[in-house]
Amino acid sequence: MRKLPPIRRRRGGSFAALAAFFTVVIMFFGMGGATALSMPAPASAVSAGVQAADVNGKTFAIATDTTFAPFEFRDGSGELVGIDMDLIRAIAKDQGFEVDIKSLGFDAALQALQSNQVAGVIAGMSITDERKKIFDFSAPYFDSGVQMAVAKNDQDIKSYEGLTGKTVTAKRGSEGETFANSIKDQYGFKVKALADSATMYDDVKAGNSVAVFDDYPVLAYGVSQNNGLKIVTEKEQGSSYGFAVNKGANADLLTAFDAGLANLKANGEYDKILDKYLAKAESTEQGGFFELVKDSFPALMKGLWLTIVATVLSLAVALVLGVLFGFFKVSESKILRGVATTYVAIFRGTPLLVQAFFFYFGLPQMTGQPIDVLTAGVLTLSLNAGAYMTEIVRGGIQSVDPGQLEASRSLGLSYVTSMRRVVVPQAIKIMTPSFINQFVITLKDTSLLAVIGFAELTYQGQQIYASNFRTGETLLIVAALYFIVITALTQLSNVLDRKFNK
Amino acid sequence: MSATATDKSAKISVRGLKKSFGSNEVLKGLDVDVAEGEVVCVIGPSGSGKSTFLRCLNKLEDITAGTVTVNGFDLTDAKVDLNTVRQNIGMVFQHFNLFPHMSVIQNIMLAPVELKKLDKAGAREKAMELLRRVGLAEKADARPASLSGGQKQRVAIARALAMNPGIMLFDEATSALDPEMVGEVLQVIRDLAAEGMTMVVVTHEMGFAREVADRVIFMDAGYICEEGTPEAIFSNAQQPRLQEFLAKVL
Ligand SMILES: Nc1ncnc2c1ncn2[C@@H]1O[C@H](COP(=O)(O)OP(=O)(O)OP(=O)(O)O)[C@@H](O)[C@H]1O
Ligand SMILES: [Mg+2]
Repeated sequence: MRKLPPIRRRRGGSFAALAAFFTVVIMFFGMGGATALSMPAPASAVSAGVQAADVNGKTFAIATDTTFAPFEFRDGSGELVGIDMDLIRAIAKDQGFEVDIKSLGFDAALQALQSNQVAGVIAGMSITDERKKIFDFSAPYFDSGVQMAVAKNDQDIKSYEGLTGKTVTAKRGSEGETFANSIKDQYGFKVKALADSATMYDDVKAGNSVAVFDDYPVLAYGVSQNNGLKIVTEKEQGSSYGFAVNKGANADLLTAFDAGLANLKANGEYDKILDKYLAKAESTEQGGFFELVKDSFPALMKGLWLTIVATVLSLAVALVLGVLFGFFKVSESKILRGVATTYVAIFRGTPLLVQAFFFYFGLPQMTGQPIDVLTAGVLTLSLNAGAYMTEIVRGGIQSVDPGQLEASRSLGLSYVTSMRRVVVPQAIKIMTPSFINQFVITLKDTSLLAVIGFAELTYQGQQIYASNFRTGETLLIVAALYFIVITALTQLSNVLDRKFNK
Repeated sequence: MSATATDKSAKISVRGLKKSFGSNEVLKGLDVDVAEGEVVCVIGPSGSGKSTFLRCLNKLEDITAGTVTVNGFDLTDAKVDLNTVRQNIGMVFQHFNLFPHMSVIQNIMLAPVELKKLDKAGAREKAMELLRRVGLAEKADARPASLSGGQKQRVAIARALAMNPGIMLFDEATSALDPEMVGEVLQVIRDLAAEGMTMVVVTHEMGFAREVADRVIFMDAGYICEEGTPEAIFSNAQQPRLQEFLAKVL
């Protein structure tokens, strides 16, 4: 079963409420039309070889997670691949419809489905009773379950019996953790919860934990990618994944999915897709460091590009905010000063990560308006950097001798003209080093957006070692890219500074 | 004493001027008229309110009570366009306050060009003429930082004259200068006086005040303590505070 951190669990409640609300709205205004009001079609009982004609030639927007290997993740070239992706595309082809995949993140995907912005969600989502109240599910397309793996060269631990007195690791909030906890007293071991799969595998390889409990597909995929582990137990009974549509909506699509899935299972394509991601690789040796650099280069460049885009957009907005609120701060109006002071206090007084989570997860929940990850990221960084810019602008203006403004005003020049011609040019000179500094800070801060799934450089690095398990080397490459870009841009800024601010 | 009636012929007319910073009353009710072409020197001990008084004349300080009328415009009237009034009042500061990011000539051209009084060429011509007048034509393209104190102050005077003001205010224009440079700046002010410029000059240079002033005002603790001709102030002081002050500075 896929991991459900608290933030996702809590969502269940508001989803139900929202769903009820939407249902009422749809009933009152008849917006959904006859399809929306019709009862959900029972999913199943579609014989192989059948094609559901109603979907033919149509295009459906399908939302998915940003990364949940091996179900959806980006390969070396940045393409979205995985079991879910291959499956939905194969089914679409089989059934004659088109899909428009939207990689939104798990929560955002469900939200987009709720608000009918997409037709369906395929995101390694477990079929649960709670979710069945809000969504209609296809027939299960994958049966998950927990397995245990140990380091490849570990000859001692072959079953749960060998764990006595040892520490194992499992993903926080996952089914693996629940299972490990349920048997830990019986076998006498301790459970250490970690945040993600790559970290857990590194923990086992480093010998801090002797074994890892993880979802079977995730674990099998890791092993297939030479993550240095081997699986030693059978799969424990677990949950099943399903494709979801909004309750009562898109019954045709659901029928087509089930029909297509049955066809793929019948013609062997389904097994091919699973094998592609889960079968043990033919023990290909890992390439050298430079091969890693070469292989990861396209994905990292995509990440670097997004890092730079986010930095530039954020700084541009931050500059506007900084100038605006900076002038508020030096204005005579108590109200404007108060507004600026409040703004700065809020964004300097809270962690950037909390702000990012708020704009990406919190705000959409409160407004019902989904927000894409670039917008959320730029919003976070620009509001945050804008607060620091405000202080830089205020400091710059205030460090200009007040006699300068007085001399200008005494000549009969207006406040605005005096600022523009006399104070600001001098303030810019004072502010430039701080601006360059803020520029570097914001560029580095973009890496924090990896946690909301923004596919910048750090995120791409994480994706790469999440699939090849070469954590150290990959991070070295990522760090080197940051270093090169930051050093180059700093040098450039300094040259420009010297040239224009003599 | 006509404390309330405004003297229509006066360029500057101050009535009941009070100024407080918070609870600290710095000016406690001043009445002053300055006639066209008159040179008024203001003397007094440190902290007596001389600078504050001067800065009220072009409203660099907000006026707490009373009126200040310049060229017939009441500065305390919110409807009066201060920028227009200020164009006719040049001010020279103790610390020059030249714009360091502009050349000497750009400092002088700024106001005429920004306020569209002259086009660029006209403003340049005017600025060069002013620079020749203060003896600094060869410094037109220099940066203020490369000038001596005396030269800076002469540029500041040229800048203040760029809008052809009818009134000039000087706030201890020579106090920040090395002694050997005081003379060159005083000479420029002296020339202006001789040309009939209306001026209010706050100064510590008693000899200069005595020489150029038509009238001397002695301020003490926020009041005008005594005023009169240079002769009356310097040779025939009435108030004990003035006598004390002169004993110290002369
Ligand atoms: N911006 C201000 N805020 C508060 N108090 C001020 C301010 N400007 C001046 N003062 C006070 O007002 C009083 C008069 O100051 P002012 O500068 O007018 O004196 P002055 O006669 O020019 O003295 P000096 O000969 O030292 O220049 C002083 O007590 C000073 O501390
Ligand atoms: Mg003073």
